[in-house]
Amino acid sequence: MSLRLRTSLLTALLLLTQMQIADAHIVSARLGDFYAGALHPLLTLQDVVAWAALGLLAGSLGAASGRWLVAVFPLGLCLGLALAVAAGLAPTPPIVDAVTVLVIGLLLAAALRIPVALLCMLAFVLGVMRGVANAGELVPQTDRVLYAAGLASAGYVAITLIMALVLTFRRPETEPAFSWRGIAVRAIGGWLAAIGLMMAGLSLAT
Amino acid sequence: MMRRNLLHSACGVVLLSVLTASPGFAHEQTGVGGGLAAGLLHPLTGLDHLVAMVAVGIWGAQLGGAAIWVLPIVFPLVMALGAVVGILKIGLPVPELVIALSALVLGLAVALRVRAPFVLAAAVVAVFAIFHGHAHGAELPSAANPLAYGCGFVVATGLLHAFGITIGALARWPGGERVIQGVGAAIAALGGYFLVTSLGVAA
Repeated sequence: MSLRLRTSLLTALLLLTQMQIADAHIVSARLGDFYAGALHPLLTLQDVVAWAALGLLAGSLGAASGRWLVAVFPLGLCLGLALAVAAGLAPTPPIVDAVTVLVIGLLLAAALRIPVALLCMLAFVLGVMRGVANAGELVPQTDRVLYAAGLASAGYVAITLIMALVLTFRRPETEPAFSWRGIAVRAIGGWLAAIGLMMAGLSLAT
Repeated sequence: MMRRNLLHSACGVVLLSVLTASPGFAHEQTGVGGGLAAGLLHPLTGLDHLVAMVAVGIWGAQLGGAAIWVLPIVFPLVMALGAVVGILKIGLPVPELVIALSALVLGLAVALRVRAPFVLAAAVVAVFAIFHGHAHGAELPSAANPLAYGCGFVVATGLLHAFGITIGALARWPGGERVIQGVGAAIAALGGYFLVTSLGVAA
């Protein structure tokens, strides 16, 4: 093997081992703002925890109650985003976010059969809160409609998938909350409530 | 000539590797990943926490009935209360001693198959949960990402309980109860060692 070939191979290997994700194109693409809106909440832990909690609660209440959220939650996200842009609505303080997760976690852990109207109201309020929080990423160059469409799509997909996962796991729906599957879902509710409680404590401490 | 080519190649490779180098995060944990890893590892790397949490799961399975389902649902909440006390920097008396004692008491309860009334068992476990939560919570404000740290340590603790409950399920097989009691005795022995260490008797 010649020296030049050996050097070329070594250089190629070095470049390959040091390669990183190429994210240069996504921001300049025509639909970049759509992806930005869709990805921002999925890469923010506060959103992931809150959305997962809501999806789990809706799924544990059954398909008849949960299916309303498929529309209500994305609408709440869009309204929150619109209020932040148009009226300059500020994000809620961290303690409010923490208490929201705590309440959803407790509802899930206690396996309370809350009315559909209350579930929808909870989802809508949470949607508005997270919509406002996600508006923090907007810059003057951002296409607001595309960003809102991305955010709403992510909300729709995430809530629908989590609900479907819980519904499939809990089948049949008539199974008592004391079955091991029911206990597993309720245990996650306990975990979520614990996380919410700790975050509330942290926001009080800082 | 060949030596010069070799030198050029080596210089080129060094320059290339310097220009394309990315920051090394080997020791400093950052962001969500760092916080999550720290939270997940905190209950797993402290042997006193680890054995006590597993013992809670086994004892719950031994007691059966309500204990087996109340435990995984309520324990994280009680532990979070302890964590809040830790976050708010409110001190608890002799925390290391109580954590060591928890491993000893819970290990003995498993080894001796103590059939305590549910309320008494819940109260004992709750007191220990406060102290374990306090130890984890005290680290939370300084974590790379406090929310990720909180998620990590709650999930790790829940999984340790599940592991304990799984060990408790061995009782269904012949000889399984003996294995469980042996595990309980080992946990009690470790708890005894930690207790003696925290009292300053052993090194």
